[in-house]
Amino acid sequence: MAANPPATRTPLVGDDRATDDGAAGAPLRQASLWRDAWSRYVRNRAAVAAGVTFVLLVAFCLLWPIVSPYDPNHVDFALKSQPPSLEHPFGTDNFGRDMMTRTAVGGRVSMLIGFGATLAILLIGVAYGSISGFVGGRLDNALMRVLDTLYGLPGLPFAIIILAIFGTASKWTLMVALSVASWFTAARIVRGQIITLKENDYVRAAKAVGARWYRVLGRHLLPNTLGVLIIAIFLELPGVILGEAFLSFIGLGISPPNASWGQMAQEGRTVYRTSPHIIAVPSLAIATLILSANFIADGLRDALDPRTRET
Amino acid sequence: MALLEVDNLGTHFFTREGVLRAVDGISFSVERGQTLGIVGESGCGKSVTALSIMGLIPQPPAKIVSGTVMFDGTDLVQLPEKELEDLRGREIAMIFQDPMTCLNPTLTIGTQITETIRRHYDVSKNDARKKAIELLEEVQIPRAAERLDDYPHRFSGGMRQRVMIAIALSCDPKLLIADEPTTALDVTVQAAVLDLLDDLRQRHDMAMIIITHDMGVVAEAADDILVMYAGQIVEQASVLDLFDHPEHPYTEALLGALPQIEGEGIRDGRLTAIPGRPPDLISPPPACRFAPRCPYANANDTCTSVMPELREVRAGHWVRSAHPACERAGAAITAGAPA
Repeated sequence: MAANPPATRTPLVGDDRATDDGAAGAPLRQASLWRDAWSRYVRNRAAVAAGVTFVLLVAFCLLWPIVSPYDPNHVDFALKSQPPSLEHPFGTDNFGRDMMTRTAVGGRVSMLIGFGATLAILLIGVAYGSISGFVGGRLDNALMRVLDTLYGLPGLPFAIIILAIFGTASKWTLMVALSVASWFTAARIVRGQIITLKENDYVRAAKAVGARWYRVLGRHLLPNTLGVLIIAIFLELPGVILGEAFLSFIGLGISPPNASWGQMAQEGRTVYRTSPHIIAVPSLAIATLILSANFIADGLRDALDPRTRET
Repeated sequence: MALLEVDNLGTHFFTREGVLRAVDGISFSVERGQTLGIVGESGCGKSVTALSIMGLIPQPPAKIVSGTVMFDGTDLVQLPEKELEDLRGREIAMIFQDPMTCLNPTLTIGTQITETIRRHYDVSKNDARKKAIELLEEVQIPRAAERLDDYPHRFSGGMRQRVMIAIALSCDPKLLIADEPTTALDVTVQAAVLDLLDDLRQRHDMAMIIITHDMGVVAEAADDILVMYAGQIVEQASVLDLFDHPEHPYTEALLGALPQIEGEGIRDGRLTAIPGRPPDLISPPPACRFAPRCPYANANDTCTSVMPELREVRAGHWVRSAHPACERAGAAITAGAPA
């Protein structure tokens, strides 16, 4: 068939090709889905501000410890509990350690745990939810009833039990503890998406040309859940970071002298009357991160949801 | 032997309200290179027939309960899903009603065409791409090479249907099933797409099944026509014979509901509607399914007690009715609606 040249034909009146940009026009702007989303996102000022704050906070945590003149674990009682000053912009803590450097180092730990656990939540959630939604029928029913049961488990007490089973609290055990009881929502979101998406005509069309199930799932269904997953990342992240802070605050998380934001706040708790900055600095850091993540999620939802598209 | 032979195919939907007989024992065949048109109103089982042939009916709730679908000597009903998958796209391709939703919005059309080619043939990405460009040229998309990397939203409805046709043709199928291929398109674009389909059918020597509710579409494209009503075939004939001498009261009524703007026997005044509604397929009328809406059915005959068989009233013209036009007293009535 390749040998046959296309038949020449005179275009009909109202030929559909005429309504397209066709041969006549200047090149149109190539608008991909993501570029579209980006242009909608930048129009949301709160989301842009949150995005900038988020990036700055991450950059600060990553870069400041490298250039900082202070060792985050160097104890100097002569400098104990100093309020913010030029040398120590965030002040010093009970042990005379530089709060700014410790905030950055602690932020690394908090964020690593936060991102790590969020990633784990998504991986488990996507696997569980997509299988449940894609297979459907009895398996879906069974998996969802299991999920309903698991939903009854309160997240943080469950995390505490996991930590107790591990016996030690490190970055890695905290990640496991925080993700094990938090992936249920992600699984439900993905399942719902897959169920909606698999009714799409293009899924049927893909099957009609012989696409196998893994192709249908991996190529036609999962990529279309990406937008929702990105939003889910920024919705899960605050919860996980708060969870880490909570666990460290009650002494089950990162143990001294290592810093995490929750652990730093815990140290400031005893002296909050005399040196309020010691608890205020890590708390503000947590609040900033969580708020910006929430605003980013909000902006992304508007940007990626096709129903909010006005153009 | 015909390319496709459907024998006594029955597809039922097992719903909470009861068993819905969407396709109730239909038989037909399609010869190589021929076009069969299936017409009927919404819900008469046209699309379910097509999906049953493809093995794409949603299971559950639907299930093929009887019959065989012999394609090129194999029974597709009995074929395991894996082999059916290999057959779909390569031997039998299908195009759907709404081109706006049948392309994945997140993949370029180039990807969607080459994936189909690479699914069935072991060719390099580059060769698949070349083939995809040829296909787009064949369905007359201008600047095919450039447009290959465009996303579907940059194509109009008619253009997308052309892309769908290109995908369907990508593996040179022997049979193309077009399920309402032009319903979602403008009338002028419909004509262009139908032209293209017929042109490609001849060039690729494919057989084609066109499913539609539009008598105009089948008149143009089909060799034979099959009229479905309530899951059954009610009339089957060559296209000329059916349009010139419709036998079943339902077919007559369908043609009577069709606007005509030129030609002999032009009707002026209002179009005739068919009274009543299509029957509920969970509990259809006990005998002739068209009886409740049929102007010729009366209490004294068998219409409400015996299911009429599909019988050959003349060579190649089959009808399922106790009152085909040729046996009626006023046999002069042809395409016109009964008074």
